Amino acid sequence: MEEMKATYIQEANELLENLESSLLSLEDNPNDTSNIEQVFRVMHTLKGNSSMFGLSKIAEFVHDLETIYDKIRQGEMELTKEILNTTLASFDHLNLIIIDSDLEDEKNKENHVVLIHKIHGLIQGSTVSQAVVVPSEIAENTNATVIPDNVLRTYYVHFEPKTEFFLDGSNPLILVAELCQLGKYLVVPHFHKVTSIDDFNPTSCITFWEIYIESGGAKDKIDEVFVFAESNAKIEVVELTSSDLISNKEFAEKVQELKFKDQLIDRDVLFELAARLGKSIVPDLPILPAIDANELLAESKNTQKSETKEKVVSSIRVSSDKLDELMNLVSELVTTQASLTLYNQKNETPELELISENIEKLSRRLRDIAFGMTLVPINNMFSRFQRLVRDVSMALNKEVQFVTEGGETELDKSIIETLTDPLMHIIRNSLDHGLELPDVRERLGKPRKGTVKLKAFYSGISVYIQIIDDGKGIDVNVIREKAVSKGFIKSDDVLTDKEVFDFIFYPGFSTAAVVTDISGRGVGMDVVKRNISELKGSIVVESQVNIGTTLTIKLPLSLSIIDGLLVDVANVYYIIPLSVVDKCYEVDNFEMMNNFNQLLVLDEKQVPFINVRKEFGYEEMSNSEKSQIIVVSDADRRVGISVDHIVGEYQAVVKPIGKYYRNQDFISGATILGDGSIALVMDTHKIIDLYTEHAKFELKS
Amino acid sequence: MKNEHHNDKHMNGETKSFLSFKLGEENFTVPVMKIMEILEVPKITRVPQSPNFLVGVINLRGAVLPVIDTRIKFGMTPIEFTINTCILVVSIEVNEEIIEVGALVDSVSEVFELNTEDIKPAPTLATRYRADYVQGMIHESDHFIMLLNIDKVFSSNDLESITEIKDNSQEEKNN
Repeated sequence: MEEMKATYIQEANELLENLESSLLSLEDNPNDTSNIEQVFRVMHTLKGNSSMFGLSKIAEFVHDLETIYDKIRQGEMELTKEILNTTLASFDHLNLIIIDSDLEDEKNKENHVVLIHKIHGLIQGSTVSQAVVVPSEIAENTNATVIPDNVLRTYYVHFEPKTEFFLDGSNPLILVAELCQLGKYLVVPHFHKVTSIDDFNPTSCITFWEIYIESGGAKDKIDEVFVFAESNAKIEVVELTSSDLISNKEFAEKVQELKFKDQLIDRDVLFELAARLGKSIVPDLPILPAIDANELLAESKNTQKSETKEKVVSSIRVSSDKLDELMNLVSELVTTQASLTLYNQKNETPELELISENIEKLSRRLRDIAFGMTLVPINNMFSRFQRLVRDVSMALNKEVQFVTEGGETELDKSIIETLTDPLMHIIRNSLDHGLELPDVRERLGKPRKGTVKLKAFYSGISVYIQIIDDGKGIDVNVIREKAVSKGFIKSDDVLTDKEVFDFIFYPGFSTAAVVTDISGRGVGMDVVKRNISELKGSIVVESQVNIGTTLTIKLPLSLSIIDGLLVDVANVYYIIPLSVVDKCYEVDNFEMMNNFNQLLVLDEKQVPFINVRKEFGYEEMSNSEKSQIIVVSDADRRVGISVDHIVGEYQAVVKPIGKYYRNQDFISGATILGDGSIALVMDTHKIIDLYTEHAKFELKS
Repeated sequence: MKNEHHNDKHMNGETKSFLSFKLGEENFTVPVMKIMEILEVPKITRVPQSPNFLVGVINLRGAVLPVIDTRIKFGMTPIEFTINTCILVVSIEVNEEIIEVGALVDSVSEVFELNTEDIKPAPTLATRYRADYVQGMIHESDHFIMLLNIDKVFSSNDLESITEIKDNSQEEKNN
């Protein structure tokens, strides 16, 4: 049971997340009917799930909310700001009570009552104004009295599925059951078509039904139940009387009688009977308890439910533990396969070579698929920010348009989880410090509404996430002065803009004059940078005064297995990620010796290079030997990295080398080779950053 | 006092197992519970540009294990590999996180049992080692064994301690 409850909470959280994003887009675009439908559907599913688990308080609460949206959907109510605010407040409340379903927390209990009151107020408010504004509509409903509970109509429904009805997985009993939820009913099943047991074919549908139903709703409520079955069945709905015929004893008896005889009712007899009995209705004890009118409205929408169900079927829920285990096994498989390849190279058995190559191909594919499974679209995270932007901008009295782009970009789930907090911080900063107040913006000739854009895209093995605002930007000079006053730099130091902007990420560095409760205390950006570095990512700020600020975060797609180039330097194996490798050259060592400007001419182009032996503190090779230069691309640069030999391509399962080596972050991890020895994985981006800086420093001193 | 046997007065303390090892001529000990296993020295891959007490990383059945030269950590000369040199795989707790690390030692001596009451507090003065590294002293016949606070000794946050030790040893030399 506990497990089921956990599933429920998990699902409910997902539904709520879904609900929130729909609500927020509704706010921008209140007339978007597809969003209203979406809100309604989500609420409906949530209600269903909740009552399935006996969480009646939640179910009732959602039911009331759902009623509002049903009315909006039907055009009986207009979506107002008030409704949205109440819904969002209810949404927050739901987030809390999903865990506290019995309202044990006093605060929740209190809130619950207040919100229910509010929601009821909204529902009633609407019916009153409805009556005033559109009296004609009510007048059209000939028999309708003002209180909908009293509208009684009895319908005759003939539902005869075609024999192939089962073939697409449809179940006629579900439809019948759904129909019966509309009101009081009498159901007469018919088995005429059943012949002998020998001819019986379990895959064909040979039963059909006659259903008499008293429904408060109009005929289209009944039609809706069959909306997906129409093409597959003969369906006939006839209004018999505008009264409750089902409760009539004589009518019920007649139907029962026919039921036992398994006979189709004669239409003329039926109509005659209905006409006679319809007039002289003696209110009898109801056969079935009457159902709340709201319930009718809601339940009739079960057709929508089946739509959402279809979506769910296309994916299954797997616990991340299982995925982690799978990934570990795949990693081990890749390592084992490497040993096999190594063994084969030593022994050269032709049969084995074929097998080994096949296993290599298979494990590569398996690896790619297993990887794909751990990736989730970044959209899940984006939608969470919608709410943040809304609330923060309201608190700041700013008008903000929040745009997201590239939500389909996929990233490792664990990366996304770690990324949420830093991104939240950056967005908060953009809203608070970046964007100006509407009036100020107008004076500057900008649109009153500021824009914050969250954009994600792939590039190579990296994912880029950008946070772009069109606010007041960051003044390089202000940062510079601040850095000087804090003693980070001297006033005559020459720094590029990028270097100056990097000071934003220093601990305790805030240029905000006023500290607000949203941001400005100067804690945070350093944490942001640290979090992102832990993910092996990097962050860069670009900004122009009065035009805006762009923060670009670069992240690796996944952390654990990479295609690499295995090389050796001074008898130590290194892996260079294949994705950054551009081209390999062979050069004589004397070309690198005493090369003061650290440039090599390769393919008639000048390429800066890093002498790894020298920089890593190994003994340098003699002049007469040759080195391999691996040209790697890093952003818009091409840099050569010198190594002794290239061993070959290698699938590396990257393992962390631990906290002791946190200052050696140009090594992103280690991998175990087929023979059990260790190769270190180079982070070329960091190496280039480190040693080109280093070279600069040497020049200066 | 010197010849008093451990087993005479054990009213309160509990008996625990300890493993003793040598660094140079000095004896050290750690609770056996902290030692996961003892390895012969395999091929060690050095990580470039790392502090000299970090010898490198080894392959411990598919996992990557950092290895520390315990002698350097204690301000001695770097370890010289002999037939007796081995790696203690210790499990330490740093910031509520359990990590494993390999500690290179000159030789492993023995496993012995001792009542915790027999552990004497470490003298605050007159020790060459940082006070927080040494948890207590054990008097064994004619010499002392130092009981190490292994979590402290190998905590990765302590990178700065190396320089401190260096400074100390320099001061000692100057004195």
